[in-house]
Amino acid sequence: MLAIQLAITGLQTGALYALTAVGFSLIFGSTRIFHFAHGATFVIAAYFFYGVFGAGLGLLPSIAAAGLGAVAFGVLLDRLVYAPIQRHEGSFFTVFVASFGVGIVVQNLIGMVFGRGFVTVNTPLSRSVEMIPGVYVSPLAWIAILCTAIFLGALQFFLRRTHTGMALRALADNPELVRTFGLNPRMIAATAFAVGSVLVVPAAIITSATTGLNPAIGHHVMLISLAATIVGGIGSVSGTMLAGLLLGLAESLALLVVDSQWTEAVTFAILFAFIIIRPAGLLGRATAH
Amino acid sequence: MEAYIFNLVNLIAIYAILAVTLNFIMGYAGIYSLAHAVFFGLGAYTSAWVAQNVHPSILLTIPAAMMAAAALSLLLALPALRVRGEYFVAASLGLQVLAVTIFSEWKSFTGGIGGVLAIPPANVFGIEVFKPAHFAILSVVALVIVMALINALVHSSFGRNLRAIHDSESAAASFGKNVPMIKTISVVISAALAAVAGALYASYLSFINVESFTLDASVLVMAMVIIGGTGTVAGPIVGAALLMLLPSLISWFDFLPQTEIGALQQIIYGLGMTLLMIFRPGGIVGRRAKA
Repeated sequence: MLAIQLAITGLQTGALYALTAVGFSLIFGSTRIFHFAHGATFVIAAYFFYGVFGAGLGLLPSIAAAGLGAVAFGVLLDRLVYAPIQRHEGSFFTVFVASFGVGIVVQNLIGMVFGRGFVTVNTPLSRSVEMIPGVYVSPLAWIAILCTAIFLGALQFFLRRTHTGMALRALADNPELVRTFGLNPRMIAATAFAVGSVLVVPAAIITSATTGLNPAIGHHVMLISLAATIVGGIGSVSGTMLAGLLLGLAESLALLVVDSQWTEAVTFAILFAFIIIRPAGLLGRATAH
Repeated sequence: MEAYIFNLVNLIAIYAILAVTLNFIMGYAGIYSLAHAVFFGLGAYTSAWVAQNVHPSILLTIPAAMMAAAALSLLLALPALRVRGEYFVAASLGLQVLAVTIFSEWKSFTGGIGGVLAIPPANVFGIEVFKPAHFAILSVVALVIVMALINALVHSSFGRNLRAIHDSESAAASFGKNVPMIKTISVVISAALAAVAGALYASYLSFINVESFTLDASVLVMAMVIIGGTGTVAGPIVGAALLMLLPSLISWFDFLPQTEIGALQQIIYGLGMTLLMIFRPGGIVGRRAKA
């Protein structure tokens, strides 16, 4: 029974990991920007939701606030920080440090406004229902899995069937060629940031109602996103998706053997194993070298 | 007031050792580690254990700390050999997170969350050093020795090899340089010297716990290197001094919320990192843009 329980919890966690990580993977894969502040996007979305919902303004305005906050942050960061850096140099390290700095600022600002402790949003949906004897599942688990399926399905449609989506994939392959075709790489990059940031929103909202939030959660989000991106294979959106699910399941099923404080160690062990044995990842084409 | 100033000198010297050793792998070998506080912590715990269970002489505590950190650093060198900067950041982030869990759980060695209490003061050739003013001599001498060592390394053929790898790994390899070996050695040296800072820290404060060795500490040290100037000699020292003085500077200004000093400090250096990368990627000391 415990195993089934943990598998369902793992699926829920994994679905949210997949969403978050795909956002990062999409941005990194298409623009080559090491967007470490992706964790900060998550924090902003989650706390905007928490703040507006806590003020009693209702569910829809709260979701809208989270979405707007995340997209505005992602797109503005691209415009105001990444674009100027890329204009004069744009090495991996410079972008990473700038992004990292922004993440620190966001984490502390949120901490000053909302406090540094754990907070959760209480909804009637968080309460678990006994599915079969001994297995308790909250409706939020199904919402998480459904949301992930819808968002990732929409993303696949967007990437394969729309012009903007195809341009995004083209940017990942060859930015010069994109320019030759008269498309503006900066515009496409902005789209990547908007889409990548939107993907975080459902994960952030559902997390705020399930496991809860603190301002430092951005680091955990980044560890998961990086791990899933690497384990899945750089530049492979489907790979990242799979890896996110795998990490969530592994983390949850590990509770059969170890205590809960070791779950991040499980993520690390999987990441480490992949870096050493298979740096190209599950579905990656190029090697990490 | 005097004790206050010497206390700052000690903390700056200890963090400067960390910044100098991190700069060695970041600035010269291009290995961007978010796990430097792990070696700082391991050094501190090891030397605390030796001081309590064997003898508090620095001739024992410091070498023991260095050896422990050097051994663990091989674990970090492993992924560094396999992947480039981007992916190594992830591996080191993972190691840092894992280390914090181990530091808080391994109660017999680290005292868990509560930490290690009553660490004997440093014993230098039979003399116990516990006054901040006296300890300042020890910490500054240690900093000078570490800097001299790193400086000698950077200007040796080993240092030229490192810079060659930083500029182009494949070019260095095609000239017959053993890239994995050079990288491993640089990681081991950096970790072992960071452990010196840990040993000093443990005997200076006589109390340590996991709070000092979290990801925040790693980030702080990285910020020192970057703000000062990656790949420069003076940069890490300038960065360390600046960031360690920041809390005192903040408390100087009465209008700032004093309960939020930690957060304000982080906001200032976070903002500093971002703005420097946009306008002056070489840091305060660095003149030209560094890759």
